[in-house]
Amino acid sequence: MTEPLLSVRDLKTQFFTEDGTVRAVDGISFDVYEGEIVGLVGESGAGKSVATSSILRLVDSPGEIVGGEIEFKGETIFGLEEDGAGELRPRDEMLTESEMRKRIRGREIAIIFQDPMESLNPVFTVGGQLREFIEINRDLDPDEAREEAIDMLREVGIPAPESRYDEYPHQFSGGMRQRVLIAMALACQPDLIIADEPTTALDVTVEGEILEMVTDLQEKYDTSFIWVTHDMSVVAEICDRVNVMYLGEIIEQAEVDDLFYDTKHPYTSALLDSMPRPDKTVDELRPIEGVMPEAINPPSGCRFHSRCPEAREVCREVHPDLRDLSDEGAATHTGACVKHDAFDVGYDDSPAIETQTGSGFSAGLTETGGEAE
Amino acid sequence: MGLLRYTLWRLAQAIPVLIGIITITFFLANQIPGDPVEIMLGPSPAQEQVEAIRARYGLDRPAYQRFLTYLAGVATGDLGQSIYYDRPVLEMIMLRLPVTLYLTVSAFVFAIVTAIPLGVISAKRRNKPADHVSRIVSLIGVSTPSFWIGLMLIIVFAFYLGWFPARGLPVPWASPADVRGAETQLQVLRTSLYHLAMPMVALGTLQMAQITRIERSSMVESLQGEYVKLARAYGVSESKIVRKHAFQVAQLPVITIVGLGLSTALGGAVLTETVFEIQGMGRLIITAINNQDYELIMGTTFMFGVAFVVGVIITDIAYAYIDPRVAYGDET
Repeated sequence: MTEPLLSVRDLKTQFFTEDGTVRAVDGISFDVYEGEIVGLVGESGAGKSVATSSILRLVDSPGEIVGGEIEFKGETIFGLEEDGAGELRPRDEMLTESEMRKRIRGREIAIIFQDPMESLNPVFTVGGQLREFIEINRDLDPDEAREEAIDMLREVGIPAPESRYDEYPHQFSGGMRQRVLIAMALACQPDLIIADEPTTALDVTVEGEILEMVTDLQEKYDTSFIWVTHDMSVVAEICDRVNVMYLGEIIEQAEVDDLFYDTKHPYTSALLDSMPRPDKTVDELRPIEGVMPEAINPPSGCRFHSRCPEAREVCREVHPDLRDLSDEGAATHTGACVKHDAFDVGYDDSPAIETQTGSGFSAGLTETGGEAE
Repeated sequence: MGLLRYTLWRLAQAIPVLIGIITITFFLANQIPGDPVEIMLGPSPAQEQVEAIRARYGLDRPAYQRFLTYLAGVATGDLGQSIYYDRPVLEMIMLRLPVTLYLTVSAFVFAIVTAIPLGVISAKRRNKPADHVSRIVSLIGVSTPSFWIGLMLIIVFAFYLGWFPARGLPVPWASPADVRGAETQLQVLRTSLYHLAMPMVALGTLQMAQITRIERSSMVESLQGEYVKLARAYGVSESKIVRKHAFQVAQLPVITIVGLGLSTALGGAVLTETVFEIQGMGRLIITAINNQDYELIMGTTFMFGVAFVVGVIITDIAYAYIDPRVAYGDET
């Protein structure tokens, strides 16, 4: 395979709070190749957004990237090495803050944020904001940038872009503002766009329109995307490959069809069961029981064991790494669950444990209890 | 609606407010025990004398009649006659108002020019030494009365060091003949600025402290905004984010505080003028009250009311100008 556009290796981002260290992103690795849409999926608090801000090196204090490597088109966005005294320090080829700002942010990697209502500056015109970012990232003069901004607004389906150019964000609806933000990202002509839950704040019809538009524009401009979401139906609609995150770790990586039809990790299954699917008729949706534990003090062993319907004693002790579980000849499909043979830690002989799913009032009690025995 | 029409509309709305101010002041002033005539003539005056004076100033007529006469007078620009000074109230105000405006506006310029950079630096270096210093300074500024600052300034800079004069405030446009030690207009300006320094600081400190605090908290909030994150993610430089993206949004609450501070500052001017013996509106209003000079009390109060209303209108217009979300009243 060709070189990946973006390669993230063992990325660790931690927040140093008064209560202790929050391991928001705890050693994730994934690649993004040219022209593909890669999903980053998980519940709130899984570390998806921290992972994406780490890629731009825009983690807010008290957060800090503490380890791992991020390579983008042969440049080192992040990388550490040991100096003579055994202390970690940034590698020489790591881009400086000013290089990140001038060469990477916006120009090479653009981002679309979750909340279109808050992301645009309320006191400047929509066009003015677009033009400013285009000017900075494409070295155009103001008039050219203005032309480009209007063209881009038209491209994302904003009617009468010449007149709307001079309007303020409050005169746009939520869906229209998200289109503006997408126009902003595309107009800077980056190779990679990070979309951080861009449709979560929108209603479903608008979401559908926007997903369709993004798919079309993605083909037209051949831009790669990292699509962050918690919504498996969005994943099904647009992603080529998917990374499922739980509590700072990636626990399953697969092409989208494999993920849906040959799910390897119980957490992914749980995510899939919690949404309606056209290919399965169920009496009721099964939400994932319990809440995600705090990343400040993650559970021992497999981090999902406290909520996993298939958890056994061994899950409490063994922390599974991501292993290749794909069938021979098939595309790579990795997962981090000890129930698979690739782990061979005695899952089959281990007794089932009480989990939040089996602890009483849940509707899935009998079913999950039965499975575990 | 354009900005001009919006301004005119806001001015029109001020008329009922001003009528309200006049009404309340009029009836309150008339409820003060005592009588200006008594104060003028001293104890046990002759009955004819009292009646003559009462007739002369119209005090023999019932209150509602006097009120209507007064209201009609105000509408035509006549604020009545000062009993104490024996001159038209308007003339007295025109004599004193420029001094007070000179002082207040200077104090505000001083406050804004120092407070905005302080607040911005404080927000940018949040919880670092520069921030702590600025916060302590502004806390002290907010909690210290202006007359005390004035007295301390006089003791240190006038009495011990002798750098600045402690009394009076000639306006820079006064004729050289009226200003001691000045022969040219430039010397008048120089003298004026010398006299201005201490009262300006005394009066401006409270405003400076308040604006600094608001500027800081507003900038802190604005710097955490999603639009700031977006600007960073698109490679906008940090200094441009502070100067443009975060700054402009952050000024909205600051404008409110500045606008409302205008009326506080006029109140503060009364004390500051007393401390520095400045012949301004503050001294005028105190003289008026001490002598139960009805027309002068009303005239000065009315002028303060006008100043307050103008302050609010300027705030609203500035708001409408800077914040596109404030429609000029036509979309609601």
